Amino acid sequence: MTGRAVAIVGGATTKFGVRPLTWAELAQEVGAALFREVPALTTEDVDSLFVGAAEPERFAFQSHVAPLAAEQMGLRPHRIIQRTELACASGQSAIRSAYAAIASGLSDVAVAVGVEKMNLPSMAEANASMACVMDRAWDGPAGATAPPFFAMVAQRHMLEHGTTEEALAAVSEKNHRFANANPHSQFYEKTFSREKLLRLPVIAPPLRLGDCSSMTDGAAAVVLASEDHVRRYTRTPAWIRGTGQYSDFHNLANAGSLTEWPGLTRAAHEALGRAKIGIRDVDVAEVHDCFTISEIVEYEALGLCPPGQGGTFATDGRGDLGGDLVVNPRGGLLGCGHPLGATGVAQAVEVFRQLSGTAARPAENAEWALVHNLSGSANVHSVMVYQRGGAA
Amino acid sequence: MTVDLPRRRTSTGDAPTPDASSPPRADPAPPTERKSGPARPFLLDFVPLESEKDTRLARFFERLAAGRLSTTRCARDDLLHWPPRTACPRCHSEELSWVDLPESGRIYAFSAVLAGAPMGMEADVPFAVGLVDLDGVPLRLFGRIEGRPWADLAIGLAVRVEPYDVGDGRWFYRFRVVD
Repeated sequence: MTGRAVAIVGGATTKFGVRPLTWAELAQEVGAALFREVPALTTEDVDSLFVGAAEPERFAFQSHVAPLAAEQMGLRPHRIIQRTELACASGQSAIRSAYAAIASGLSDVAVAVGVEKMNLPSMAEANASMACVMDRAWDGPAGATAPPFFAMVAQRHMLEHGTTEEALAAVSEKNHRFANANPHSQFYEKTFSREKLLRLPVIAPPLRLGDCSSMTDGAAAVVLASEDHVRRYTRTPAWIRGTGQYSDFHNLANAGSLTEWPGLTRAAHEALGRAKIGIRDVDVAEVHDCFTISEIVEYEALGLCPPGQGGTFATDGRGDLGGDLVVNPRGGLLGCGHPLGATGVAQAVEVFRQLSGTAARPAENAEWALVHNLSGSANVHSVMVYQRGGAA
Repeated sequence: MTVDLPRRRTSTGDAPTPDASSPPRADPAPPTERKSGPARPFLLDFVPLESEKDTRLARFFERLAAGRLSTTRCARDDLLHWPPRTACPRCHSEELSWVDLPESGRIYAFSAVLAGAPMGMEADVPFAVGLVDLDGVPLRLFGRIEGRPWADLAIGLAVRVEPYDVGDGRWFYRFRVVD
């Protein structure tokens, strides 16, 4: 890697779900949790703040959220304060920006926080807000939202590769089962057998309710530090070893194949290449299962299995405990819920816990972790690679 | 989707003055006044503003109102665009021409919205949407698919382009299954 080495030295999340609180209260709650979780951290230490928030203007009628978040968290950043917006990847965007700032020497200790308040009195309004992530002028008038788009991905995957509804249910069952070890998940202590999932109502054929992540209120935060500052906070940092990103298209007409996501392959190649490892070295992965079919296509695009075999990878349990690697041990977006800006940060919190040996559902002896977020209609892919503690 | 227009005061800016002794208007028509447009707050309305005051692509919507789905083609490198553009994404030339698109195509993929429709579309549920390969051009357009319940649609089914008035003088396009 070029620049200074950077690690995550701690993190926290709020409870995810339908929460009776505001955007600002979510930021306050995660700030309090973060300072409890990282006892050595003082407010004066934090020179920079990056706030991942996808749609506060729409969901909370609030712009300029970076100083709002800073005030809620008791921070007065004096080097960089900014919001990052990349729809569903806004949280990872905050972490990537903090990483770049620290690696370059502009920042020494930064907080990346993701906050999203999505549950509104009118679900129709919230759905309209979600729809404006798409090309609102050209795809929006027809009613383009995420569920029918990812449903078309599933339809084509079934046609081209024989993927089954059972394979979709296998992903959902796994991630909901993992979420049962995570008291902060939206579907904590709710069990979903494959049979039950296959009886849930259809939302956008062939996708059923259990194939879709939820509208969720939640926040998550991590502390990032330069190699010179890491030891002040933890003996078990999670080092950022590589990042990659690729933006391919926006209008749905320009999506190309729905079932191949070359942008993810490129972003992962970049991130793994910088880390000087291969995908087979990854022990635990947090990938963007906004829909069950997403995780299946991601298995393939990441190179965990050949193209077309993601469904079999799922039904064979190769992303489960005891499989090739553990995928989404936090519970994924399906089990935890998907507060857009918070999701990428919550995945990083899970990776920190996995690599420091404090995870609720630990992968065995994990050294390498990968985090993936897609955004919009899988038109942008963002990937980060982390390594367990030890020297910088 | 139908939208009732609010009654607005009609501009008399260019009209003959009925009484030559009347003083000139002190308050010219506000710039937001237009012949047609959305009645509800614009930012919750997905249909774009289509007039020459609002977009350099007004010709697209004029042609659509005349029954023709069209797009831009780059005069320099011949690239066919979707959506229509004002500058070519490949060579960045701004010399583009309008070309009509085929009126027929086939369904490449489809689904339906059975729940979770955006505001303004709740009454349409259930509705089918899909990606349609237009015949003879390398374009795959997203749109509503009308004419059959979603459960009776199939990949490969023939559809035709159907421009329609969204209800307030603005035009958009959808697809209809060919019987």
